[in-house]
Amino acid sequence: MAQFDEADDNEKHSYSGERRRFLKAAGAVGAAGVTGLSGCTGMVGGGGGGTPTISIYTWEEYADFKDEIESALDVELDITKGTSSAKMFSAFNSGKDSQYDVVIPNNNYIPKLMDAGLIAPMPDDVVNNFDAMYGKFKEFANTQFSDGSDIYGVPIRFGWYGVSYDSREVSDPEKSYSELWNEENEGNIIMYDNHFKSMSAAALYLGYTDAFEGSKVSLSEDQIEKVKQKLIEQKPLLQGYIAADPTYIKSFRQGNHTIGLSGRNEIVEMWDNGDDWPDLYVPKEGSLAWFEGAAVSKKSENKEMAWKVINQYISKDIGSQLAKVGYSPSCNPNTQENLSESENEMFGSVEPSRLDGFIPFKAVENEEAWIKAWEEVKSA
Amino acid sequence: MATEPKSTRQRLLRALSTDDRKLGVTLGPSTVWLAMLLLAPLTFMVTVSFLSVDESYNIVWEPTLSNYTSLFEGQGAFWQTSFFESLILSYQIAAVTTVLCLVLAFPLAYLLARRGGRTFKVVIFLVLLPFFTMYLVRAYSWLLMFGPSGVINDTLLTVGVIDQPLTLFNYGKLAIVVGLTHAYFPYMLLSLYASLDGIDFSLVEAARDLGASRTATLRDVILPLTLPGIISGSLFVFVPSLGAFITPRFLGQGKIQMIGQLIEKRINSLYAIDYGSAASMFIVISVVLAFALAFRYVSIEELGGV
Repeated sequence: MAQFDEADDNEKHSYSGERRRFLKAAGAVGAAGVTGLSGCTGMVGGGGGGTPTISIYTWEEYADFKDEIESALDVELDITKGTSSAKMFSAFNSGKDSQYDVVIPNNNYIPKLMDAGLIAPMPDDVVNNFDAMYGKFKEFANTQFSDGSDIYGVPIRFGWYGVSYDSREVSDPEKSYSELWNEENEGNIIMYDNHFKSMSAAALYLGYTDAFEGSKVSLSEDQIEKVKQKLIEQKPLLQGYIAADPTYIKSFRQGNHTIGLSGRNEIVEMWDNGDDWPDLYVPKEGSLAWFEGAAVSKKSENKEMAWKVINQYISKDIGSQLAKVGYSPSCNPNTQENLSESENEMFGSVEPSRLDGFIPFKAVENEEAWIKAWEEVKSA
Repeated sequence: MATEPKSTRQRLLRALSTDDRKLGVTLGPSTVWLAMLLLAPLTFMVTVSFLSVDESYNIVWEPTLSNYTSLFEGQGAFWQTSFFESLILSYQIAAVTTVLCLVLAFPLAYLLARRGGRTFKVVIFLVLLPFFTMYLVRAYSWLLMFGPSGVINDTLLTVGVIDQPLTLFNYGKLAIVVGLTHAYFPYMLLSLYASLDGIDFSLVEAARDLGASRTATLRDVILPLTLPGIISGSLFVFVPSLGAFITPRFLGQGKIQMIGQLIEKRINSLYAIDYGSAASMFIVISVVLAFALAFRYVSIEELGGV
């Protein structure tokens, strides 16, 4: 600083001129860097000529069919594996909708993406496997994924939740959620670390079935309070809350819990891997069904190709393979033709009448109140 | 009149020929780095904490205090809200972790400072060895250790010390404290060692020669001289423990909710970055206060163990 003060005016001018040049050069380098970075992150769709690239944010199993889809559609797939619908939504909402062409969260997140204006309507003529889907899923798409005129998501595969138990430790359980509040199972019960799954189970146990009938799940404040109290009452009996589905299998095998709320596909996976002791029942109070919905980013530059890729995931061939690797049935019943009898029993054939009894995942009315109640359960 | 430099090297040397330019080149990159990755996000966070997010998840640019008031809103008093309970729990866990790290690291650091040489190298290598693996892997290893059928309970059952699994070793607060202590122990150890290594141990011998008991020597000579190391080590452990996320998520098995998890849940489920920013401010303020308190007692040079 002192030396700068001692410099004469000419030098100062010279310094400031060079500083400006230096700043210009630095700015140019910075701009080049930013340009380079934007080339790395890329706008969706890849643009330009040649083979288009479709970026997909989805679950692990979808990546297994990269090669088949690439060769079938002359496309390049860039698949990012996710572990949570909430994170997929959060990523899309915080700017990554320009990075991904396709996102495949659980069905209850498609309306959220629609509300946020992040996804594009489906062109009927491109997704031609849509018509082959179970009527129930077409109905779900027309109700949950529609704004009244357009459909914004395509159901891909589905499953349902129930109560699974170690048949060596828990004998002849009552086919009810009450087993998850049974003191005989103290210290051996697992629930999901997810406000929607756990609070819904408690709500069904309390008999609030009506709340699940509309387009959104709507519990009154009083019902939310009772659900919260029921879960707080359950907490001392719990081994813990499980954050992700694979963790359930690990904990179950390790013997850390003997009964818990779980997805059917986890148990099917265990059966398929030779474990014959897990069993699962659908509680008499009703059970929730999930399905995954695929959507295309509004910012995608290759929307048509993105929908073609989605169409592949519900095709007879890839849909059946997806059912095998994920232990979850495809929403396209034609996939059953590609599965063996035992595979159909586990993750293929589902009677359409059975689908009528499902309570599908839905967006939640007044979700903030649910979250607050859930936080209080966790803090209790 | 100066001659015009010809080569790139000459131009570069000329460009760097004055102190302010050297200062610019030296401080420039780190300033830009801090501005982009610390100042900008922090400014965004502070700003958003006074704004709101609408139903379409867009930021509403109208100042409000509602995020701060909603942190303490609930059915009961403010200390019964989940935010306050999570915050207090986070302080408790961070404090216990810090004390545990200090108690475990101090004797070892003292030994290393007295012995030095080969012993120091071997012990430091052993302490740092697990840190060649990812943090996630280390947290995961504790996941296998705890639980009713974890390695600890299984071992005790096998050797016949217990008849049935101890609930003490289930996932929960103890598991989280153990996981965090393991994660941040080296920071405490190295800070304490840096401080102890600078002590003139003849003072300790003099105190003993003059009749001071071991306890008095520790209290009146060693601890005051190592205070900068204790404070810096405590900061290095307390601050990251307060906002810990991975370890409590793994080892709390969802039954324990620290502040980081509460914020993550709000943002991932509702995209409530306004609420999350307001909640995060309490962590930022805590950290600033912790540093301010530390600087009341020691200087920045002393914190480095110099």
